[in-house]
Amino acid sequence: MKKLSDIFAAGWVQGAIPPALLVLLIAIVEIGSPGFLTGETLGLLLGNTAVLFILATGVTFVILIGGIDLSIQAVASLASVILAQLLPSIGALAFPVAIGAGLIFGILSGIVHVRLRVPSFVATLATGGVVAGMALWFAQGRAITIEEGGRLSTTWINGTVAGVPVVAILAAIVGIVSFLVLRYTRFGRYSLAVGAGEPAALAAGVNVDRTKIIAFAISGTLAAIAGVILAARLSSGSPSLANQLLLPAIAAVIVGGTAITGGLGGVARTAVGALIISIVRIGMTFIGVNIFAENVVFGAVLIIAVAITIDRSKIPVIK
Amino acid sequence: MTINSETMKPVTNLERTSAMDAVFARFFRGEAARRLRTFAPLIVLVVLCILITIANPNFIELRNLIRIANSAAVPLTLAMGMTFIILMGSIDLSVEGALSIAAMVLVLLATNDANANDYGWLAVVAAIAASTAMGVLNGIIQTVLRIPSFMATLGVWFIGLGISVFMLGGSAIRLMDNSIRSLALERFLGLPLAVWVAAAAFLLAIVIQYHTRLGRHILAIGGGEDVAELSGVNLQRVRITAFGVAGFFFGVAGVLAAAQLGQSNAVIADGRLFAAVTAVVVGGTALTGGEGGVLNTLVGVLIVTVLANGMVLLGISPYVQQTVQGLMIIAAVALSLDRLRLKIVK
Repeated sequence: MKKLSDIFAAGWVQGAIPPALLVLLIAIVEIGSPGFLTGETLGLLLGNTAVLFILATGVTFVILIGGIDLSIQAVASLASVILAQLLPSIGALAFPVAIGAGLIFGILSGIVHVRLRVPSFVATLATGGVVAGMALWFAQGRAITIEEGGRLSTTWINGTVAGVPVVAILAAIVGIVSFLVLRYTRFGRYSLAVGAGEPAALAAGVNVDRTKIIAFAISGTLAAIAGVILAARLSSGSPSLANQLLLPAIAAVIVGGTAITGGLGGVARTAVGALIISIVRIGMTFIGVNIFAENVVFGAVLIIAVAITIDRSKIPVIK
Repeated sequence: MTINSETMKPVTNLERTSAMDAVFARFFRGEAARRLRTFAPLIVLVVLCILITIANPNFIELRNLIRIANSAAVPLTLAMGMTFIILMGSIDLSVEGALSIAAMVLVLLATNDANANDYGWLAVVAAIAASTAMGVLNGIIQTVLRIPSFMATLGVWFIGLGISVFMLGGSAIRLMDNSIRSLALERFLGLPLAVWVAAAAFLLAIVIQYHTRLGRHILAIGGGEDVAELSGVNLQRVRITAFGVAGFFFGVAGVLAAAQLGQSNAVIADGRLFAAVTAVVVGGTALTGGEGGVLNTLVGVLIVTVLANGMVLLGISPYVQQTVQGLMIIAAVALSLDRLRLKIVK
């Protein structure tokens, strides 16, 4: 047992497992149903992964600093409601408003966490409740259909460019920008430092509070972007639209190999994780696993992935 | 970690002491202030009741008070279980999964409109046992795999929810066993039986916390795990038992919820986690563990329920309720955290 955990603890093995798993899954799918990963179905796969990936990228930033964001599904739903509600009256301006709302609530989560010193999972559980209540209130508890008039501004999201779905391109842009931010900006380096060891980062003069707030702001913004895309794809906004996405998004981050303890991981790993989750989901539908039972698999996958990737030396007491 | 965080303290305090902390420190210092903090939730509850009564005298009517007791039954039972977990300094996010599992087992085994089962009160036992097993599973995952409870229980939350929705086939199944339904429909001394069950759960929780070794050990772990371990507390056994006890309470709550609703469906547990955490935290049990208890939680549940009832009486949209509860969590945690003990907040 000890040997097994030693193998998993080696850095390069942790980095190599997710891509290997992805290749294995693709091979299984390809053998089970030849021609699956060509043309239209590949586009469909990428399109389906896009929203999950954008959500997961946002959470990646928060998990990298050693926190967690449990409010993403609420923020995404709120953004979808705002978009659906405002499209008829202010047209395309509804996009920046919806995404701005995500930014504001992200910053709010960050401030509650940092200034009031509330642990992040409670802080975001609470702001998630605040946001969910507001979404319910704006929508009066109903799903809002985006009418013909409003759909003019959203059709481009559902289109394709040279055979590639626009959503996949959007996700790629989000992914590349996030990757560059993490690797080449001061904030990105600080995030990793804070996640790797907060006291050391603090002693080295890193503005820990600001770094954390920015991470939560990014998470909120990306969650809102995901919510907007989801609303455009489904042509409706609803206060519970994204509720089913919290678990897959966190699972994607962890399965990709980002440690829940922070400081280790990145956007590229999350991309691999999101693809794994997507393929597993499609595979389950394909084998005939009941759609309601998918959550059972994701829950189990999450626990196993956390158990493998977690850095136990960093948490003396496991609470 | 090679860096000793003790020596970093001056830096930490310099960096972190905001104006707000200074204000908190002034208000919550000394013995008198400590006592004030202990009784703050109770004062909030009384003031809340007075304010709502002034705004709408209907609040104080016997009929409304019974309504409040009735709607507090399920949250109180849930929050009893949650209190023990938070007292340990952990969190159980699987409340909704455990509750829906219990409700699902109950309706599928008792008389219902989907199959021919008719196990009567055995179904209740099975439901509570299933939920307790989920709790034990939480404890085992946390202690054996050594992962933080919020991650372990996040996974179990969706495992439980997935299983119960799958077993229900995505639809609502009605509970038609009259003796179980009577929990919600029959009254004893004017109060529905569900309220008495919740009161019994509360008494049981009091006994566990104040009169059993388990209760003392839970407090000891929350107060300082390393010290507890050195004092000979079997951490793993206490943690697993505590999660099991929590699962038991969630199971009872699930039975009550199914009896009240007369059915079980995919959304029977929606919002329960939030209500339970709010109640525990608003009651004054510290998230850091080791401080507070089931008496605090009783006050917390009453605050949450009275506020929800008051908002309805005052004609405020019920949709805003979650928003208000969220703000309450933030305020309560911010006020109750023992800041000196927290060097790093994750």
